[in-house]
Amino acid sequence: MEIPYLQVNNLNYSISGQTILHDISFKIEKGDILVIIGPNGSGKTTLLKLILGVIKPDKGTILINNRNVKTALGKIAYVPQKFDFDRNTPITVKEFIALEKCGKREHGLRYISDALAQVGMTGKENKKLGVLSGGEFQRLMIARALLHEKELLIFDEPAAGIDLQGEATIYSLISQINQKKGTTCLIVSHELSVVSRFAKQVLCLNKSLVCFGPPQVAITPEVLKNLYGSEAGLYHHHKH
Amino acid sequence: MLEFLNYPFMIRAIAAGSAVALVLGYLGTFIVTRRLSFIGDGLAHASLLGVALAILLGFAPLPTAMLTAVVLAILIYYLERRTNLSGDMAIAIIFTSGMALGLILLHFYSGYQPELMSYLFGNILAISRWDLISIISASVIIITFLTIFFRRFLFATFDPVGAYLAGKKPWLYDLLLYIMTAVAIIAGIKLVGIILVSALLVIPSAISRLYTKSFVNFILLTILLSFLIINSGLILSYYLDLPSGATIVLTGSILFMFLSITKKLIK
Repeated sequence: MEIPYLQVNNLNYSISGQTILHDISFKIEKGDILVIIGPNGSGKTTLLKLILGVIKPDKGTILINNRNVKTALGKIAYVPQKFDFDRNTPITVKEFIALEKCGKREHGLRYISDALAQVGMTGKENKKLGVLSGGEFQRLMIARALLHEKELLIFDEPAAGIDLQGEATIYSLISQINQKKGTTCLIVSHELSVVSRFAKQVLCLNKSLVCFGPPQVAITPEVLKNLYGSEAGLYHHHKH
Repeated sequence: MLEFLNYPFMIRAIAAGSAVALVLGYLGTFIVTRRLSFIGDGLAHASLLGVALAILLGFAPLPTAMLTAVVLAILIYYLERRTNLSGDMAIAIIFTSGMALGLILLHFYSGYQPELMSYLFGNILAISRWDLISIISASVIIITFLTIFFRRFLFATFDPVGAYLAGKKPWLYDLLLYIMTAVAIIAGIKLVGIILVSALLVIPSAISRLYTKSFVNFILLTILLSFLIINSGLILSYYLDLPSGATIVLTGSILFMFLSITKKLIK
């Protein structure tokens, strides 16, 4: 039997006695795109942090390739909702992307330029990081993951604060990387349209697991009502 | 014109100043990027405890102050990570407690202590050969270490989550940065004094980040400015017969104001 790429078992997490996540279990295969949806405060970002190993669960296990997450460090890339840094800090795109040493010889500029070209950022190597737009920054994070050939890409609301065109670019990039390189992707989003367009699996979260599975099976009117309340239908995507 | 070079104390001060300029300038780029400008001030003030201990027990003040500052830096790091205290709160608690304890200890020392004044306000006449050796040794070790592990320090400083996911230990580089800052700050207190030394960690970086866009250039320009500020301040203080620490810091502040305004005018 094939081992799932990511396996989450009975995950529980609370802060000061308040339950943030209750008994979450799911598994995905290598090459899946899992979109995690849920209302604000449903525990989406906490789930990502637990998977990344940045915080420890009260109970439960997370396995990547049937092994502890720590053994997968070096293979995971994380694109946060907002990368918190002082925009006046003098650091170039090239310096940022080369922070992690990779196997390729001294981060030869050619490799960096190739990675940037793949995300549509040709010639931006020497730009100051602080002048990049939100969309450019997200693409840069993707280029960094490409350069270091990560196996698992984790995105927390990758299109937050980006215009519609930028948003489309980000999602189509994620989709391309997944198709070309077989990279497994986890995307937290509050937009249902993302689920219909990109997800191979969807996980609905509202502190506990509301649904999990292929979108066409997992997303039902009851699930949406449970997640977003009685008016959820208004926000449901339309198939064109 | 260069008559000050005839005096051994000035040569020692310039040698010590140059070493301190290199190390505080270099470290300052990381400290300012981490928005930790206050840590230098905290560690310098808290090191009064080390100076007081040394004076009371008859130990060599500079190494004792360095050791005390390292312990206090580890304590600040521990409070930040293991308690609910924010970074500035942890620094403020250690800063004031260290200083208070130092003052209480000094209360038990009878008589005038000229050494104490040189630590509080800086005194280039008080830099002995041993001080110079301690300052240069500490600076060389820190600069070498920072250069060898430059990429890791920058990764942990700028993107700690990314560093962790890349399999590095950002906490270790944070801790080392705190310890090196503690040692470097103490290396500068005989020149500038406990009260003003942290300015050397911040002012050169504050100027050079206005004029650079890559981190490597940021470091190089900061070191150059730091070197210019400290040495021109020292020479000015000699000719104008002013306190060296205050003259160095004011030289830096005036340069910062001038170059900030120039930058705005250029835009």
